[in-house]
Amino acid sequence: MAYIVGIPLLAFLSILQSVIISDIAFIDGRPDLVLLAVISWAIIGRHKESMVLGFFGGMFLDLLSGLPLGVSAANLILITYLVSFSEGRFWESHFLMPLGVGLISSLLFYVLQMTTVFIIGPSFDPGLMFIRIVLPGTFLNLLMILPTIQLANALDRWMRPPAVRI
Amino acid sequence: MNRSSTLLLLAITLILIASGILVLSLGGMLDSAQDLILRPISAIQSWISVRYTALSDLLSSPGDLQSLQARNTELEVEVAQLQQEIIGLREEIAETEILAALLNYARSKPENRYMAADVIGVDTSPFIRSVWIGRGSDDGILAGMPAITERGLAGRIVEVNATSARIQLISDPAIAVNVLLQNSRADGVLAPQRTGELWIDLINQDAQISPGEIVITSGLGGRFPPDIPVGEVISVRKRDFELFQQAVIQPTVDITNLDIILIITNFRPFLLDGSE
Repeated sequence: MAYIVGIPLLAFLSILQSVIISDIAFIDGRPDLVLLAVISWAIIGRHKESMVLGFFGGMFLDLLSGLPLGVSAANLILITYLVSFSEGRFWESHFLMPLGVGLISSLLFYVLQMTTVFIIGPSFDPGLMFIRIVLPGTFLNLLMILPTIQLANALDRWMRPPAVRI
Repeated sequence: MNRSSTLLLLAITLILIASGILVLSLGGMLDSAQDLILRPISAIQSWISVRYTALSDLLSSPGDLQSLQARNTELEVEVAQLQQEIIGLREEIAETEILAALLNYARSKPENRYMAADVIGVDTSPFIRSVWIGRGSDDGILAGMPAITERGLAGRIVEVNATSARIQLISDPAIAVNVLLQNSRADGVLAPQRTGELWIDLINQDAQISPGEIVITSGLGGRFPPDIPVGEVISVRKRDFELFQQAVIQPTVDITNLDIILIITNFRPFLLDGSE
């Protein structure tokens, strides 16, 4: 069920990222809907699903990007794996802890993308990229992570209603 | 097998699959599969883009009738002025044609053919400056074709699918455009910066450049047709100890706000392997 809903949803989020999200830029950074969706799914505990969804989400992102196909998919799988690595150990202890997960995931996502662009493209100033794209993008992702987790929780409850003893 | 081992195995398997796809894609072996997947995605992208543009135009348009009427009057005046200019320019063209005929000037440049395309999205990676258009190989679009607007050069086609294509914008640092500064006749190369600034680099130190000078494509290298406006010089950076001087330009095209793009379809870029 998660894949039936999740894969088309990620395709839709990739399209929104391409068409609408470019208008919500802060300096040169933009929120990353696919990243937010995938890590939110991992944070609520659906680790295996989030890895598979990360694979598909990354593929959709790469299809609508100049990045080689598979780069964002590998990035998102790695990030969701890292999120799942410390399952239930510290971020469930405080409601603000997902912000820390969002911060690290977002930074890692951008750094991996930046490394790819550095390998395939012309030389650039990583410091400048960090200030103009990575930090503003991470800031926007942090603003959106808590509501996204709430949405992911709601979606999870809708797909898997808790068993009720009658 | 415990849970963490299962997760690790799944992560490794998926990363290996993604790496395999990456290798196949770099080898160009997934082009037809990409076409197949991008067909419905491009259709949805176009559908959303048209509605989003209409909605955003509606929200940003003047709110009341009075301001619309005032704007209409302004535009009518502007149209009248432009019509006068067109008449004057037509006269000049006629004169030029007579002079060219008198000088037996060989006209080798063919008439450009254009195809209009809607911009349906931007690159999902913030590190790459490119846009997607809703036309592809089904419409005869080929990689390398220049993309312009009525104001000047916007970029070039770098990726073509059946129903969509990706345009590398002139603000992308990976693009290289040979340009000519119109008054000083100095050659240079467009060098976009990651900050969004457009520089012209490799300008001879002896060239006398001044702000306001128009920059056009030179046609050198055969990747872009000549004489397409690129921008206007706003400042010059000249240091005696450097081999070349640079100029910062303001692009003639508003590359942050592209709705419709014209593709020059009869231009075939010259590629390094000698093919066209």
